[in-house]
Amino acid sequence: MKRLMIGLVALAMIATACGGDDDGGGTSLLDTVIERDEVICGGNETLPGFGVVDDAGNFSGFDIDFCRVVAAGVLGDSSKVRFVPLTAEARFTALQSGEIDLLIRNTTWTATRDGQEGANFLFTTFYDGQGLMVPASTGFTTLEDLADANICVLTGTTTELNLTAVFNARGIPFNPVQFEDNTQLRPAYEAGQCNAWTSDASQLAAFKATIEGEGGDEQFIMAEIISKEPLGPVVADGDTAWAQAVEWSVMATVQAWEFGLDSGSIGSYSGTSPNILNFIGDGGFNPTLGLPSDFAVQVVSQVGNYEEIYNRNIIPIGLQLTGSPNDLWTNGGLMYVPPYR
Amino acid sequence: MSQTTLEPPPDVESEQIAWYRNVETLRIVGQVAAVVLVVGLLFWLFNNLLTNLNRLNINTDFGFLSRPTNFQISFDEGFDPRSSVWQMVLVGIKNTFLAGIVGIIIASIVGLVIGIARLSSNWLVSRLATIYVEAFRNIPPLVIIIFFGFAIFTFGPFPVLEEATQISWFGSDNTALVLSNRVWGVPSLIAEDNVGIFWAIFVFAIVAAVGVAIYRTRLSDRTGVLHHRVRWALGTFAIIALAGHFIVGGAFSASWPVVSENGRRIDNGFVLNFGYISTTVALGLYTASHVAEIIRGSILAVPKGQSEAANAIALRAFQRYRYIVLPQALRIALPPTINQYLNLIKNTSLGIAVSYAEITLLTKTSIGNGRPAPQSIAVLMAVYLLFSLTISFLLNIYNRRIQLVER
Amino acid sequence: MATETPFTHIDPDTGIAIPEVDVPSQKLPPGEWLRKNLFNNWYNSLITVLLTIGVAYVSWRVLRFVFVTAKWEPVRENLTLINIGTYPRDEQWRVVAQVLIWSGAAGLGIGAAVAGAKFRALQAGMEYVVDPALAKVKRYSGLLLLGLVFLGFTKTFGPLILTVVSLAVAYALYWVASRVAGHNVGLLWAGVAALMVFGFQIVSGFFGMGWLWMGVPIAAAVYSVIGRNETIEPRRLRLIQIGAALGVLVVLFVVYLVVDSVGVEWDEWEGFHLNLLAAAIAIALSFPLGLLLALGRRSSFPALRIMSTTYIEIIRGVPLISLLLMAQFFIGFFLDTRTPLSLFTRATAAMTLFTAAYVAEIVRGGLQAVPKGQTEAGNSVGMAPWSVTRLIVLPQALRAVIPAMVGQFISLFKDTSLLLIIGKIEILGAREIIHGQEAYRGFGIAETLVFAAFAFWAVSFTMSRESQRLERKLGVGER
Repeated sequence: MKRLMIGLVALAMIATACGGDDDGGGTSLLDTVIERDEVICGGNETLPGFGVVDDAGNFSGFDIDFCRVVAAGVLGDSSKVRFVPLTAEARFTALQSGEIDLLIRNTTWTATRDGQEGANFLFTTFYDGQGLMVPASTGFTTLEDLADANICVLTGTTTELNLTAVFNARGIPFNPVQFEDNTQLRPAYEAGQCNAWTSDASQLAAFKATIEGEGGDEQFIMAEIISKEPLGPVVADGDTAWAQAVEWSVMATVQAWEFGLDSGSIGSYSGTSPNILNFIGDGGFNPTLGLPSDFAVQVVSQVGNYEEIYNRNIIPIGLQLTGSPNDLWTNGGLMYVPPYR
Repeated sequence: MSQTTLEPPPDVESEQIAWYRNVETLRIVGQVAAVVLVVGLLFWLFNNLLTNLNRLNINTDFGFLSRPTNFQISFDEGFDPRSSVWQMVLVGIKNTFLAGIVGIIIASIVGLVIGIARLSSNWLVSRLATIYVEAFRNIPPLVIIIFFGFAIFTFGPFPVLEEATQISWFGSDNTALVLSNRVWGVPSLIAEDNVGIFWAIFVFAIVAAVGVAIYRTRLSDRTGVLHHRVRWALGTFAIIALAGHFIVGGAFSASWPVVSENGRRIDNGFVLNFGYISTTVALGLYTASHVAEIIRGSILAVPKGQSEAANAIALRAFQRYRYIVLPQALRIALPPTINQYLNLIKNTSLGIAVSYAEITLLTKTSIGNGRPAPQSIAVLMAVYLLFSLTISFLLNIYNRRIQLVER
Repeated sequence: MATETPFTHIDPDTGIAIPEVDVPSQKLPPGEWLRKNLFNNWYNSLITVLLTIGVAYVSWRVLRFVFVTAKWEPVRENLTLINIGTYPRDEQWRVVAQVLIWSGAAGLGIGAAVAGAKFRALQAGMEYVVDPALAKVKRYSGLLLLGLVFLGFTKTFGPLILTVVSLAVAYALYWVASRVAGHNVGLLWAGVAALMVFGFQIVSGFFGMGWLWMGVPIAAAVYSVIGRNETIEPRRLRLIQIGAALGVLVVLFVVYLVVDSVGVEWDEWEGFHLNLLAAAIAIALSFPLGLLLALGRRSSFPALRIMSTTYIEIIRGVPLISLLLMAQFFIGFFLDTRTPLSLFTRATAAMTLFTAAYVAEIVRGGLQAVPKGQTEAGNSVGMAPWSVTRLIVLPQALRAVIPAMVGQFISLFKDTSLLLIIGKIEILGAREIIHGQEAYRGFGIAETLVFAAFAFWAVSFTMSRESQRLERKLGVGER
């Protein structure tokens, strides 16, 4: 009996070992993703406007929409995406080890990350900057007003480093209070455990709106922006085919906006502009990016153009598009994509 | 065996048993095989680790330890962002132990009280003590810590620092206690210039106290008078230390907490931040529920005859506990209690949830700012390990001593 | 060597042996009881009065919070999120199926235990006494309360129906199992194991090799059933046995080949479901590992002893959170694989490795408590060393340490809350998601924490009650 049990266990183990499929090295992630028929996207699950989850378990937000954009571009179906919530510290490890195909988690493009963390930053989808928020009743308007202040900040982010660098450079003493997540940070800020809250300006706007909307004290976001925070999709170093596919899918949303095409009109375009016809893949134009020729149509009709994505997610948290750096270059913004031809 | 056996010549014996059936040989072969297997496995794992890290371009050296952190630590004004990661680790260790030690004191006192209360003859008291134990030990310490962070500070009764409650020292002008929802200030002692001489006298006081204690014990053994050695030793120590303090003309001066003019910091005194207080209180009370169970078990483990004997010589309830039951119970309770203390110190790593800057939070922060994770975590584990192994080594020595004395 | 007093009780948490205490069980009239237990002298009376006032005040505050002031909407609106996180909703039936299957397994397991107890009672010539229903309700009061709270928060009848059906399934299997003849108890336990693995299979979406693992207990059961046929000649019987067992495995392998493909990633298990699942898996895996380590530490082979001791001491010296961080960042790199293991797998592995060290220490305590004469007796009748360990020492040792082991498993369950720190969405992570939603961003933050604490409390409390009962039932320490 005993011997039989051992035998059975051994058999099961051998079967397990044989069943594990070998991953052939050298192929691009693009092929893997197409074969798997699913994009695995590392995201945030608690960031207003960028990534939140409702009771039904659906992710939504600006970053989340760009994950869907990649799924629509590469696989032709924006729902073929799985979101993996990540902590700030572990996101690059997850990318490097291949747990996720793509990282879109309000991640700032910096030299260290591009180099040392083995990350490859693609087209910037959101130009943000770090700001500081204080209760309006304090009357603080400049960083110098915050001497000796307690400043709430999330750990493991560039925000923390910027704060230290800027305040030290100006010789303003301060005390950072490091929090793991906004669930803890926000009530602490509201209770006056910190004098100020520093984060990306978009986040501060979102929280300002909710705090005031729920009848809390009036808040004031300082005019001074202490850093540049270009946020965008990230892939692992060393896989050009996948990087191109992701980048062009993402850029298609801006291109469509520039062409004046949105989710409603792109499918029924009847004009004759050769550029647009190329863009929607009508004339058999294929730049061999590894994407289907109608990828732009899929992206825009399923998720929308950049403006639609922005209006859906960022306008509700209280930031305007017009006049911001995220406006189209023709309107004086920074959204400028290479021509699709 | 009833058969008479002749001693065979040794060489014949060894020739008769083949090596593969010789138990001694097999033992050695088996162990060598096991060692080879485990060492091989470890080597394989480690080799994979290095290969994978190299493949992913994650560096594997420890050079980052001497490079600057570039961030500041919560409630640590002395910490310069240009300080190295090593110094950050030291700050983390310091904070871990500050929380651990005070947590242990809280756990011991509350645990002792609750443990005795569980055996109270008053039904209400014992029932409430049971509720305490069942409530605390069935909830994760992480949740308890977050809860106390909310209950004391975020949603608690204390005002913001600018309007802090200040309690003065018995009518004098000095503030003894500053309470706010961010930091608490308590008085502390500041060493004066001549403190060096004082420390010498201090050491002498300890030696003298130990000497007196030994003398009293011997005296008691010889003559049978009550030794009161603790009282004598403490008295000796206090007299010499105080005398030393005055001889050198005041080795320490009190430092009273004062809220700074802009109301954003506490100058002087000793400053406790909210993360520290939440962590120590929560872990103290959580561990107290385990200590209480140990105390209860140990008291019950003291044979009933001891209590009955105490009653027979008409000791009062307090005397019975103080002189008969507790001394025996505490001896039983010590080893498991020390295990709980170790757990408490390891649990300070959960202070991460209320932003208390102990070593785990700092390690995590530094990983988030681009330090390599494997090496950082290795340093973190080494710190905890060093401490735990030291304690369990000391505990083993103590246990051995107790055993020799006992049986 | 002999202890001074006979003891009846080893405290599960502390391992302290407590001597017998007489418990006065006579019923007193209320007035007498009050005088004796609350007002027996002036200071007790004072304490009683003060505490009564305190208790009344606190209870009033707590009740007011729970029923009047607390804002439970975040919990009520997000109950599904709290329970299963973002587990794909169109695959939700899997969770339901798992609940049913595991209720069945629980019923079968309790039934098997009862059948075994009846059998042993019969052998010993004693009568088997069933616990009164009230005692059972009391024992499971924590879980019952949790169930009631959950049902109170739900807005549809689905959960209520699920509860009733799963209780019915559990009871039906219990009823059947408890009436099975005693010598078939082994088969029942094989059934429990198979059902447990099957439930696991269902919820992970037929992903991976679980079919074969499920085959192990089934094949063993088939083997054992055929082995009882006394009409066939032994040599042929053995062949039939092996053939049938292999047949089971082959069939399940075919099932695996056919059915496998639909998948729910292990990383998609979230919410309170994840707390329970991670704890269940780590418990199941850490027990055998801990047992081996304990035997290794007590082994007469110095090499094994040193290696086991080193492992145990190193693991016990570091906090679980550091191992979980290791799991988050690089445990997967220890294997020669390019497809990364899921974070769930890595975290569960860390929890298993951690708990195994503690289990090993507990088992070692039990092994030390078995008198040396037992081993010597085994040796003297010519049993092989391994058989002595397996048949004489281990059963006694394990029986003595069950309460302490349950204590360790409770602590493991509580520690699943640490998954929050490595970014898994367990119940506390679900709480954070809720407060990321626009409607509840700064709303009911304390309430959701209280709810999570209560969920942990209910399960842990029930487990500790159960361990106290087991302890009495097994008569740990008697003799």
